[in-house]
Amino acid sequence: MDKKLALYICKGCSIGESIKLEKIETVSKNKMKVPVVRNHETLCGTEGIAMIKADIAAEGVNTLVLAACSGRVKYEEFDFPGCIVERVPVRELAVWSQEKTDAQQAAEDYIQMGIIKAQKGDMPEPYLMETVKDILVIGGGVAGMNAALQSANSGYKVVLVEKEASLGGFSAKLYKKIPTTLPFKEPLIVDVDLEPTIKSVESNENIKVFKSAKVEKIEGQPGQFDVTISSNGSSEVVKIGAVILAAGWKPYDATRLGHLGYGRFKNVVTQVELEEIAKKGAIARPSDGKPAKKVAFVQCAGQRDANHLPYCSAMCCAASLKQAKYVRQDPDAIAMILYKDMRTPGRTEYYYKEAQNDPGVMLTKADVSGVSEAPDGNLYVEMKDSLLGSSVKLEADLVVLATGMVPATADDPVLNLQYRQGPGLPDLELFNGFADSNFICFQYETRRTGVFAAGAVRQPMNMTEAQEDATGAALKAIQSAEHVAVGMSVHPRAWDLTFPDPMMTRCTSCKRCTEECPFGAIDEDEKGTPFFKPGRCRRCATCMGACPERIVSFKDYHVDMIGSMMKSTSIPDDEDEPRVFVICCENDAYPAIDTAALQKMKLDPAARFITLRCLGSMNLVWLADAFSRGVDGMLLMGCKFGDNYQCHFAKGSELANYRLGKVQETLDRLQLEADRVKLVEVAIDEYGKVPQMITDFVDKIKEIGPNPFKGM
Amino acid sequence: MSDQILKPDLEFTKEIIAAGGESLKKCYQCSTCTVVCDVTSDRKPFPRKEMLYAQWGLKDKLLASPDVWLCHQCSDCTAHCPRGAKPGEVLGAVRKMTIQEYSSPSFMGKMVNDSKFLLLLFAVPIIIFLFQLFIQGHLTHGIPRIPNGQLMSYSLMYPPTLYIDTVFVPVAFFAAFMFYKGLRKYWTAMSANYPAPPRKDVLTPLAETIREILKHSVFEKCGVSKDRSTAHKILFYSFVGLAITTTLAASYIYVFDYHGPYPQTNIIKWIGNVSGVAMLIGITMIVMNRFKNQEKAGTGSYFDWFFIVVVYGVGLTGMLAQILRLANIPVLGYPMYFAHLVFVFVLFAYAPYSKMAHMVYRTTAMVFAKYSNRR
Repeated sequence: MDKKLALYICKGCSIGESIKLEKIETVSKNKMKVPVVRNHETLCGTEGIAMIKADIAAEGVNTLVLAACSGRVKYEEFDFPGCIVERVPVRELAVWSQEKTDAQQAAEDYIQMGIIKAQKGDMPEPYLMETVKDILVIGGGVAGMNAALQSANSGYKVVLVEKEASLGGFSAKLYKKIPTTLPFKEPLIVDVDLEPTIKSVESNENIKVFKSAKVEKIEGQPGQFDVTISSNGSSEVVKIGAVILAAGWKPYDATRLGHLGYGRFKNVVTQVELEEIAKKGAIARPSDGKPAKKVAFVQCAGQRDANHLPYCSAMCCAASLKQAKYVRQDPDAIAMILYKDMRTPGRTEYYYKEAQNDPGVMLTKADVSGVSEAPDGNLYVEMKDSLLGSSVKLEADLVVLATGMVPATADDPVLNLQYRQGPGLPDLELFNGFADSNFICFQYETRRTGVFAAGAVRQPMNMTEAQEDATGAALKAIQSAEHVAVGMSVHPRAWDLTFPDPMMTRCTSCKRCTEECPFGAIDEDEKGTPFFKPGRCRRCATCMGACPERIVSFKDYHVDMIGSMMKSTSIPDDEDEPRVFVICCENDAYPAIDTAALQKMKLDPAARFITLRCLGSMNLVWLADAFSRGVDGMLLMGCKFGDNYQCHFAKGSELANYRLGKVQETLDRLQLEADRVKLVEVAIDEYGKVPQMITDFVDKIKEIGPNPFKGM
Repeated sequence: MSDQILKPDLEFTKEIIAAGGESLKKCYQCSTCTVVCDVTSDRKPFPRKEMLYAQWGLKDKLLASPDVWLCHQCSDCTAHCPRGAKPGEVLGAVRKMTIQEYSSPSFMGKMVNDSKFLLLLFAVPIIIFLFQLFIQGHLTHGIPRIPNGQLMSYSLMYPPTLYIDTVFVPVAFFAAFMFYKGLRKYWTAMSANYPAPPRKDVLTPLAETIREILKHSVFEKCGVSKDRSTAHKILFYSFVGLAITTTLAASYIYVFDYHGPYPQTNIIKWIGNVSGVAMLIGITMIVMNRFKNQEKAGTGSYFDWFFIVVVYGVGLTGMLAQILRLANIPVLGYPMYFAHLVFVFVLFAYAPYSKMAHMVYRTTAMVFAKYSNRR
C-alpha cells in the first residue's frame, strides 16, 4: 500500500495548554517527513472528524497518526475504514500523568514513536485459504448433544462422534435427575427424559452422528482440519472447521478407596453404581437384595484429598441429595449424608434447602475415616471430627461413595492432534487433567486454536451447567470457523487480520519458535524447518520474540519497528535524569498504566512506555538496541505467570522471564549491570500500584548510575 | 477411644417436628445461633449441636441434655438464623418433650399437652369441689351467711382445714413426689450421657443457681426478647409473694389459730394483693411480648398457652373473688371463688406435666451444668 501519512494533534483535554505544538509540528514535517500535519481544538468532535475525513478524501491521506487520547477511549469516533490508524496517547502519557515541565519532552517522544510506528507498519492483508465451517463435536453426552444442536440450529453442519453405541453419555445411566425448573418442589427427583434430545440430534439433517466411534487423528488447522474418524472397523476422513471437545468424564477408580470399604464389602457402592441399582427398582443392598433402610452417603470419597483427587467435583453433593430422595421413596428408610462441606453451587443450593427438609434426609459434617463390618451384613461408618461427636460410628446397610469426576482428558489426549507439540492439550496438569485454561473470562478457550471445551471435560459440573457450557462453546466454535474463513484471528486479538510472515530464507531451523509457540501453531517439515499454520495462530508474536534471527514479522508489528521506536526516543543529557523504557503488554499492564493516567496519577518522567502484543514477543535484540543508545534501564511489565497465570497468551510473560534469564550474557557483553533489566508481574486491577512500581525501578536505576553508553 | 454408635431415630425427629419444631430441618449447621447466643457456655456451646441431634433424632443426647434447659429462649438465635430454622422454637419443643419424658405417670404428661383432654383436666377439680359443696349441703341449702350479714366469707363455703387443705395438701405432695421422680430420672440420664468430672458438692452450684434465678442474671443477657426478662421477673416474684402469703395463711391458722376473713390492713393482705396484681401484670406483659416478637421468635405452642391461661385464670379469679367478697355480692363471689380453686388445682396438680415444670427442670439443669463444670 502506498502510504500517505498525516499527523493530527488534538489540543483538547488540556493538551493544548501543556505542550507547545509548533516545535512538534515542525519536526514532524521536516525531519519525519509527514506530509500533512494539523491540529484541532477537539479532534474527536464533529469538526475534527470532518477535517480528517476531508483530508482522506482530498489529500489521499491513508495513514493517520492521532496524537490525542488513549486508544482505549473514543475508538468509535476515530474509526476510519481503509486507513492505518495509530493512536498516540499524548493526553494520558504526556499530559495527565506528567508534571508540566516534563510534558513537552514526553509528547515529542511519543508522537515521534507514533510516526515511526505508522511509517514502519503496513496495512494488514489477511491470510486466506480454502476453509470449511463444519463443526466436529467429540462426545455425545448432554454437553456434546447440546453443542451439536446449537451449532446445527445456527446453520452449521455438525459431525458428532460418540464412543459408546448410543448417545446420552452419563445422563443416560441415571435413574432420575434433579428437576431443571425453579422453584424446586416435590417430587425432587424427575425422569431424565433424554429421549427428545437424542431424537432431535439423530433426526437433525445438519448433524451426522458416528456411534461406537473414535477420533483417530486431527490434522491441519482450523478451517481445514482433516479428521479421521473410525467407527465399527472402518474409518473416514472429514473436513472440519472447528472442534468442540465434550468428551465428558468418568468416575474416579473406587478400587483405590479400600479404606472406605470399596471392594472389601459388597454393600459399599459408588454413586454411579447406585444409579444402576435404582434403575432396577427399589434400593436394595447388593449382598442379599434386602431393601436398604439405612443408607450412608460418604461425600468427597477420594476427593479434595491429596492422595486421590485434589479437587471438588461440584456435583456430588447435589447428586447425593438426589439419591437420598431415591432412598426416601421408602418412607421408613433414612439417608445419612456425611460431608466435608456441603457444596451446592449456583441454584443447587435451593435444591439442598428443599431436599434437607425431608426428616429422613440427615446430614452432618464428618471426616469419614473408615468402614467396618457390623452385624447382619451391615456396615459401620466410622467418623472423626463429626458434628455428632469426635469419634463416632453409624450403622448402615448400604454405603454410597461420592467418588467424583475424572475428565476424559486426564489420561487420554482424545483429540489426537497431529501437532509437533503433541496430540493433546498442553499443560493440563495445571487443571488436574481438565481441558480448562486460565483464559480469564473466556472459559471455552483451549490452547489449541479452533478447539473449544465444553461440559465436564472442562470443569466438574452438572447437567444444567453442561448444557449452558455447550451453548457457549458452540458460539465460540462458530466464531472461530467464521474468523478463520476471512483470515482473522480469534481471542484475544479477535479483530486482527495480520499473521506471522517469516522470511524463511534466513531460518536456521533452531526450532525455538516451534517449541515456544503457546498454541502449537508451528509444525516442522521433513527437514525440520518450521512450518507456520496461520489458522492456528493467535497473533501473540511469541515466535517473533523467540527468533534469534529476527525473521518473523507481522504487517504492523515487527522487530525493526519496535527497535526503531526505541532508538527515536530522547535520552536526557543530564546524568541525573535517567531514561527508562517500560515495555508493557497490551492486555493487562498497558491498560493498568492507562487507567492510572486517566486517574491523573503521576508517572515517573524517566519512563517511556512501549506496548507489545504480548511480553512473549519481547525480542532480546531490543535490549541491545536500547542500552547501546544510552537508555539506563528497561522495565518489563507482563501478566502474572505460573500455575495461576493470567496471560492472555498463556505463556508470554513466562517466556519473557525465561529469556531474561539469558540476558545476562548480552549485558555482560555490554559491561552493564543485570539490575538494569527487570520483569514485574502486573494485573489489570493493580493500576494503583503501577506508578510506585515504576518509580521504585527508576530509583534503583538512579542508584546504579547512568548508562556508560550515554552520549556515545 | 471407643467409638460410640449413634442411633438415628426418624420417629423421634418427627415427634420434635410435631411438638413445635417444624423448622428444625432447615438448619444447615452454620452455627450463627451459637455465636449470637449470649446465654450459652463457651465450652459446650448450644444450640447448634442440639439442632443437629434433633435432625438425627438422637433421643438420648437431647432428652438428657442439660444444655437444652440452659437456653432461656431469648430467640436471638431464631432472629439471626439465616435459614429460618428457629433454634429457639426447636429447643422449646425439646424441653416440652423432656418434661413429658421424665414425668410420671406418662399418660398425665400426654393429657396435659393435648387440647383434647382440656375439659377432662378441668373436670377433675370441678367434680371434687362440687362434691365438697354437695356433702356440706351447700348445693341444696345455700351457703350460710355470717350472722351480722355484713360480709360474706369463703371459709363458710369451704372451711380451710377440712376442705381446702384436704385437697391441696395431697395435691402438693403428689406434685412434689412426681417432680422428685422426674428429676431423679433426669439427673441420672444427664450423668450418663454427659459425664464430666463433677465438683465436690452439689450445694455450691445450687446456691449459685438460686442466686442467678433470683437476680435473673441469665435472662438479662437476652437480646431480641429482652423485655421478657422483666416480665418473667415480675411473674416469678409474684409467685414468690404468693408462696409467702400461703405460708403466712397456714401459720395464722395452725400456729396462731387466727381465722379469716382478715382485715385489708393485715400484712397477709398486702403481700397477697401486691403479688396478685404483679402476677396479672407479669403474665400480661408476657403475652404482649409474645405477640410483639412473634415474627422473630414464634408464637409458641399449646403447651405454652395452657400455662399462660392457667396463670391468668388463677390471678383473675383470685383478685375478682376478693373484690366481690368486699363488695358483698355472694351470687357472683362464690362462683368466682369456686373457679379460683379450680384454677389453683390445675396449676398445682398438673405442674409436673405443664410448663410450670420448667421451674424445676431448668433449675436442675443449671445446677447440673455447674456441678459438672459445663460452663
